[in-house]
Amino acid sequence: MSWTNGYGLRGGAAILGLIALASAPAFAHHGWSWTEDGFFELKGVIAEIYIGNPHATLDVDAEGEIWRVELAPPSRTIAAGFTEAVAKKGDEVTAIGNRSKDETEKRMKAVRIIVGGKTYDVYPDRVPSN
Amino acid sequence: MEFLEALEQSGLARSLKASFVIYPVVNALHVLSIGMVLTSVMLIDFRMLGGFQAIDRQSFIALLRRVALTGFCGALLTGFAMFSIRATEYAAMPVFLAKMGLIVLAALNFLVFVSLQEGVSSPNLLRASAALSLVLWLGVLLCGRFIGFL
Repeated sequence: MSWTNGYGLRGGAAILGLIALASAPAFAHHGWSWTEDGFFELKGVIAEIYIGNPHATLDVDAEGEIWRVELAPPSRTIAAGFTEAVAKKGDEVTAIGNRSKDETEKRMKAVRIIVGGKTYDVYPDRVPSN
Repeated sequence: MEFLEALEQSGLARSLKASFVIYPVVNALHVLSIGMVLTSVMLIDFRMLGGFQAIDRQSFIALLRRVALTGFCGALLTGFAMFSIRATEYAAMPVFLAKMGLIVLAALNFLVFVSLQEGVSSPNLLRASAALSLVLWLGVLLCGRFIGFL
């Protein structure tokens, strides 16, 4: 009994702690902790568009590289006017927001999307002042 | 892959994808189900590891096992519903696959635990199974939560 009550549980807790530590740097689309502070602009062509739960995303082809652009939850994205009716595969797009702190990761979270000359602020409170 | 793509086009996935209300409700029911599973499983495991000695083991475990299995069915249904929306995305995520793998291991461990209990087996084996159950289910919880962050 002593080994299970002592080392067994403690060992389990240690393993879980290690899993949590190992995964921590990979924090991604919830919140902004995984993004750089400065603004980042991505120009490319829409390769894939998803407006839905749990949140909207765009895949953008920028000079042959596919970037994942995270948007807001669908309610917020649609409230900003950005729907499947205003953008489609093949459209030119500019995404302004914050890119991943991980330089090797082609991923960003957008606060503003520009398609067809129209601007959609999916996070109006975070857009750069201009 | 074709199955996953067909799943994404199903009526279930399409209605969940666009809904402002149903998705958070299904999500909340998933959390409720997970809470039922984790709480009841951990209480069973703690009882097996020597806790709550004053409570009769048989009836304690019988009650909590019903809660755990009910919660597991709920988690399976709500989880499948949320999975269906972006099935190909989730199926490609290592952390999602890790979660599914851990659930399979936890299920196998449960079958071992049940077979041990019914036979005449070493108390150390039962405790080892209970300790493993704790680690596996907490791992499932952790992997599940990380799906939203990777």
